[in-house]
Amino acid sequence: MELEIIEQHENYVKFVLSGITPTFANTLRRLIMSEVPTMAIDEVIIIENTTPLYDEIVAHRLGLLPLKTDLASYVLPTECECGGQGCTSCEVSLTLEVLGEKDIEIVYSNSLLSQDPKIGPVFLNIPILKMAKNQKIFLEAIARLGRGMEHAKWQPTSTVSYKYYPVVKFNEKNCTYCGECVEVCPRDIIKIENGKIYAENVINCSLCNQCVDICETDAVFVSTTGTDFIFTVESTGALSTKDILLKALKILNEKANEFKVNVEEF
Amino acid sequence: MMIPIRCYTCGKVIAHYYDDFLDGMKAGKEASELLDSFDLKRYCCRRMLITHVELIDDILTFSSPVR
Repeated sequence: MELEIIEQHENYVKFVLSGITPTFANTLRRLIMSEVPTMAIDEVIIIENTTPLYDEIVAHRLGLLPLKTDLASYVLPTECECGGQGCTSCEVSLTLEVLGEKDIEIVYSNSLLSQDPKIGPVFLNIPILKMAKNQKIFLEAIARLGRGMEHAKWQPTSTVSYKYYPVVKFNEKNCTYCGECVEVCPRDIIKIENGKIYAENVINCSLCNQCVDICETDAVFVSTTGTDFIFTVESTGALSTKDILLKALKILNEKANEFKVNVEEF
Repeated sequence: MMIPIRCYTCGKVIAHYYDDFLDGMKAGKEASELLDSFDLKRYCCRRMLITHVELIDDILTFSSPVR
């Protein structure tokens, strides 16, 4: 199994994982989507809301805000010593109190004050609500760890995807160099230069097979390696892409160990 | 009503780009250039900003302030 990182910026990583099966690729994807825990606002206690937005709309918007997550100091409420009743190791309280001073006051996510400085909104300039002069919002929000399988707000990623590593080959004996496959390719990966046909940046190939369909002499072949996968992981910012992958693998390990213990017992 | 926090389709957070998007549009920039500068590659996220109508600005003028 080999890992090669192709592209990486903040909250985004694209890598090739070679020597695995489609089963493993999908396991990794599903673990990231539905098992890796992140922090999100789960309960909102509205004390005062005289803004034109309903309490439910405000609560829903708050829930979707990605929060910076610290997996070392927090546990899932179901696994907490308090039994899910709520304590400092499974809950964080955030407060929002704003009085409209301008004709149109926009309340941004930086007004949300957290009890724990390690937990807080990832982006500080998300508009949560708007209010007119002298209107008021005062609420307490409780953030908890949760899993993507319960609600999408707890997903650590917005996109996790993989595709097979493409292989584009040409039969130069059959090729008439008509250039139709070059024209039809939506990703512009086929090139004809100095009487030679070749593919460059094969990784961009979307496996659409349009070049194969248009070729009258059967000179183009598109297939996949079957064991190499191009992964894209795009984090919401709650956890870094590295932490997400590490946590997903740790969960896989724990699940396998649990299964092993069960097998040993029968 | 207000700009949705996340893209309806893929769940990417897009609300924090909205102010910059509006400022850029007022400055006469092309929408496509702005969206590219935010690194919004998928058309699902791009339509969120392009097609949004901030209706709340109209509603605000009719909402009663607290005394």
